[in-house]
Amino acid sequence: MRISEILRLVWLNLSQNKFKVILTSIGIVVGSATIMMVLAIGTGGREEVAEQFKNLNAGAIDISCEGETSGGISFAMGGGDMIAFSMPDNNMPSGSISIGGGGSFGGGNDWGGFGEIFGFDGESTEKQEFVTLTTEDCEELSLFVQGIADATISYSTSASVEGGDLDSASYYTIAGVQDNYDTISNLEMSIGDFLTEENNENKEKVCVLGYSVAKEIFGSAYDAYDAEIYIDNRRYVVTGVLSEMGTVASGISPDTAVFIPYETGIKYITGSSISPTLTVIAEDVNQVDTVMADVETALADSYSDSTFTISDAGTKMEAASASNETLTLLLISMAVIVFIVGGIGIMNVLFVSVKERTNEIGILKALGCSRRDILLEFLLEASFTSLVGAVLGVLLSLGITPLVEIFSVRVSLSVSGAMLSLLFGVITGSIFGFYPAFKASRLIPVVALNQE
Amino acid sequence: MIEMKGINKGYLLGEEKLPILKNIDFTVEKGEYVAILGPSGSGKTTLMNILGCMDEMDSGEYFLDGMAIHETGQHALTKVRNEKIGFIFQNYQLIPTYNVMQNIIMPLLMRGMSHQEAQEQCRKTIELLGLEHRINHRPSELSGGQKQRVSIARALVGSPAILLADEPTGALDQSSGRDVLKLFRELNEMGNTIVMITHDLNVAKSARRIVRIVDGRLYENEP
Repeated sequence: MRISEILRLVWLNLSQNKFKVILTSIGIVVGSATIMMVLAIGTGGREEVAEQFKNLNAGAIDISCEGETSGGISFAMGGGDMIAFSMPDNNMPSGSISIGGGGSFGGGNDWGGFGEIFGFDGESTEKQEFVTLTTEDCEELSLFVQGIADATISYSTSASVEGGDLDSASYYTIAGVQDNYDTISNLEMSIGDFLTEENNENKEKVCVLGYSVAKEIFGSAYDAYDAEIYIDNRRYVVTGVLSEMGTVASGISPDTAVFIPYETGIKYITGSSISPTLTVIAEDVNQVDTVMADVETALADSYSDSTFTISDAGTKMEAASASNETLTLLLISMAVIVFIVGGIGIMNVLFVSVKERTNEIGILKALGCSRRDILLEFLLEASFTSLVGAVLGVLLSLGITPLVEIFSVRVSLSVSGAMLSLLFGVITGSIFGFYPAFKASRLIPVVALNQE
Repeated sequence: MIEMKGINKGYLLGEEKLPILKNIDFTVEKGEYVAILGPSGSGKTTLMNILGCMDEMDSGEYFLDGMAIHETGQHALTKVRNEKIGFIFQNYQLIPTYNVMQNIIMPLLMRGMSHQEAQEQCRKTIELLGLEHRINHRPSELSGGQKQRVSIARALVGSPAILLADEPTGALDQSSGRDVLKLFRELNEMGNTIVMITHDLNVAKSARRIVRIVDGRLYENEP
């Protein structure tokens, strides 16, 4: 029989059983929609990761202290240059250790001698695990670790904000930063200027708003500029608004943060109970690993009982990408399972269909229809049923995309994703439809003809 | 046209083989109209299936239109069924989802004809059987007599060497049955070779030659 005539018969059979076709293809509908959504969410995730890190300085290294305080400590260095490590109020020692000893920082620029100058004088009543990094640490690292172009320190907390169009106080991320934070984090101003050194030194109550915060509180960056907001009931003047960044730097999302001078935040909002992050920029991006190792050594020498998390931008990007890929892989596995279930559904329905149409197959065989033609007819019916399911699945995914986006999931639909869904759908249906079609083609004419 | 020699056929019943056809010798010449008459269980349907190349014989030789069917493989038998045999069944065996035209042209489509070619070729057959006004109807919309006409049209459309009719009037009322038998006579007069299987002597009498089958054996005259 000609392929065109077989296709005509397939169309005839399918068009007369529309409801059955739709019911049969439900598994494929779900499978195709899942594949399309998985690909779209995976692509969206990758794009989001890329966007989040697009302004990230490739040489940026973030340093923060791990662990919790289990006791207190005080350091006292004797002789030479003194470095005082202040502890948060709530971490004040129940015992004390004084670190003493003469000497200086190994002749100024030689960081190698930094650790050696410390000598423990006294006993620890409880093991120290947590230290609060300070601006002094930041300065020392810049001075004594080679290959650092710039360094800054920042922290974030949450505080109530009032003003502008807000009906009531809302909590926002407050980031205490130094004046060089904007250059280190590649932040761009939409209007106004970033915080200055004077703002920090004088502990001035000024702030820079992230783009989303400015829109939420004032409606626009323009309206926010030079306006006033109240953070923890204290009045702050908005000296600038950032452009929309979409990135994350030092654990702070600039779009949704309110930036205030580092010292202002400590004085008026957090006190000393902060967990700051030191960010250093390697002069040469190819030397990031060396700088990280030197920073780690220096910190280990200084704080031998503490553990620090030192991560670079590349590692973060890799981690985020790996996490995204793992999620995509998980979702693809889920989609494959859905396809298999859908395929088994198609196979079952086709088996029933072959059983129902055994007499018809017998008639066709009696009239001289070849095994090949019968196999082809049933296989094409399975393929077209799957195609219908796959098309419905793609349409379904288009329909549910806005719903998924409501939950802040980035979905990036693509033509290639749709084509892949269709392909997977048809292949699944054809594979699972083959066996019933093969069985139909192998029926013995006289047995099939007498089947009621 | 048909030459059968020493045909035997049996079915396994547990471990024992139950003989159905016993040493059948049967010949049909071109243009003959033969009725095979026999009671239920006599083996006439099994004989019909072997004649129609739908079942295999255990032993014996069968020649159809000069072709040694007993030596022919399944693939070739499919072609034989399509080109040399026209089946007319007791319960019509029409495909319910196809309309009259689609049912009739099926054997032609199986030969590789296009839909258009097949429709043109079957026009005369449709006229002969008076189905012109029914071509778009489904089988469920036809009477028993009309269904059997469609079945006959489908059997005739490919100009087969032989028409095999299995109880062609079995599902019809008396009047429709008479019409079908009259049609068979006319088709035979037009040169078609017909082999009809029936259990009804009155139906068999419409044929020009009657052979009887009793307990798997074929008799030209009264057993």
